[in-house]
Amino acid sequence: MKIRFWGVRGSIPAPGPDTVRYGGNTACVSVHTRAGGLVIIDMGTGLMHLGNALVADGFGAGTGRATILLSHTHWDHIQGLGFFSPVFVAGNAFTVWGPGGSPELLETILEGQMDPNFSPLQTLKNFAATFDVKAIALGVPLVAEGVTITAREHPHGATTALAFRITEAGRTFVYASDVGQPTGAGPDPGAIAFYRDADVLLHDSTYRPSDQATRRNRGFSSYEDAAAAAVAARARRLVTFHYDQDYSDDDIDELVASCRQALDARGGAAIGLSPAREGDELEI
Amino acid sequence: MKVRFWGVRGSIPVPGRASSRYGGNTSCVEVRPRAAPPIIIDAGTGLRRLGKVLMEDRFRDGRGAASILISHTHWDHVQGLPFFAPLYRAGNRIQIFAQRRDTHLEAVFSQQHGAPYFPVPLSAMQAEMSFHALTEGGRFELGRATVTSTRLNHPSIALAYRIEVDGAVVVYCSDTAPFSDLLLGREFLIHPPPLDEPPAAHIATELASLRAGVVALAHGADLLIYDTQFTYEEYRQRPHWGHSHPDDALGVARDARVKRLCLFHHAPLRSDDENDAILARCRGAAARGGHRLEVLSAQEGLELALGDE
Repeated sequence: MKIRFWGVRGSIPAPGPDTVRYGGNTACVSVHTRAGGLVIIDMGTGLMHLGNALVADGFGAGTGRATILLSHTHWDHIQGLGFFSPVFVAGNAFTVWGPGGSPELLETILEGQMDPNFSPLQTLKNFAATFDVKAIALGVPLVAEGVTITAREHPHGATTALAFRITEAGRTFVYASDVGQPTGAGPDPGAIAFYRDADVLLHDSTYRPSDQATRRNRGFSSYEDAAAAAVAARARRLVTFHYDQDYSDDDIDELVASCRQALDARGGAAIGLSPAREGDELEI
Repeated sequence: MKVRFWGVRGSIPVPGRASSRYGGNTSCVEVRPRAAPPIIIDAGTGLRRLGKVLMEDRFRDGRGAASILISHTHWDHVQGLPFFAPLYRAGNRIQIFAQRRDTHLEAVFSQQHGAPYFPVPLSAMQAEMSFHALTEGGRFELGRATVTSTRLNHPSIALAYRIEVDGAVVVYCSDTAPFSDLLLGREFLIHPPPLDEPPAAHIATELASLRAGVVALAHGADLLIYDTQFTYEEYRQRPHWGHSHPDDALGVARDARVKRLCLFHHAPLRSDDENDAILARCRGAAARGGHRLEVLSAQEGLELALGDE
């Protein structure tokens, strides 16, 4: 699996000279599988740039196929969809697997973003590509793009967000953004079991602990939480992700250095640490 | 008055090195009359940083007041609103003005806030918010400032605003297509009609009337901020998107006898170097046309003082 980061920021895109190194686009990660398939996780503004790269490929000719996993429907996870150029090329086909248990409800939510009050597209039906919206069943393995995908629901403020475990040929990538334990207690045992032995664990690291302490109701994690989860789950590599929109590149440098110390202090010295940066690629 | 640009980009915010000099935030312009509350035009992502600056002052103590004029409610003109810090402080008063729609304005903005899209519903905002639906051509006072508006040529319709205060006039015309080819309204055009023939007579008449409205609104302005998302060639490919180009903006600026034209609503993938080149070309065209007007291009952080200081 080749994992690439197109958007690593939380809440709202954060353009500016002080965010150019880590990037200011909202959540979007691509996974090119060894089997030759494409899995896209979340549709923040990074999706526009992924789309522009894909049309140079088979997606420009209308022969592209991809599976899209959606953690939840907050703006920063769907706002790139209307700017994803492959959906305007007939012949391309996308299957979106998302939360909520009802494909009709999920499609209605995605339609809401295209409402004529807000978008000149007016409706998803104006996409030229096939765009099939489905609700993923929690805990039930789904085979797509040559990989096995399992979803788990995690607390995220007043709502929930899905985490995804993706396995191919014995290698595992876990995506766990927008998770936050409401009490400040460590991750629950079910989550740790879900992350267990991941080759790469991408974990929400929105905050430094001091900022998280005053904003716990927002449903995000600190780098401490991410480090604790990685150690408890015996992950091989941790990826920090979903940085707060107000954090500059220098702030994130500090966050990452502190996360390294937190891993080491908890007995996770052997765990690799790769901060998510726009444009970076990780191969498992 | 002072005019400051907080977001100058169209369509979608674009973080990144290639565009960080002009700035990647979507539309937001602050007009600050002397010793009076700010009048903010559009609530793109630039509004977030403006909100942070406002919170350093009266808004922090819940004693702030601001008006927000919305050109239209497409995402790139409203997506900063949930991140406008003054809304989260009791005592602040925020008035929002936008074009009357089929849906009540408060209901439109409620759709944007709250589940399943955002953690905080509009009803939970601590500030006192009020919503004011405008009809085309509406005229009203905000303190000493006089605001007038007219309709632009954009899908689902957008309003241009003229703000007159402190002996100066600023006019904001974004988003709009030229008034030469297509009349854009409620209809969705998936493919652009061919532009090789002139529009039907009744369409041409209506377009001419819209253009006359814009020229009248901008008449004598010290600063005209104008949608130039496209180059002329790009416009010919996508005339149905409802955006204009520098040649068209120059024509309106000339006819309205404005003093300064500011290119605005830059295309998301336009790099800083490309924007420099577009500005240089537009200045060249203005000089060749013998126009006595200054042309500039909007950049995040640019502040202009107009009229009495």
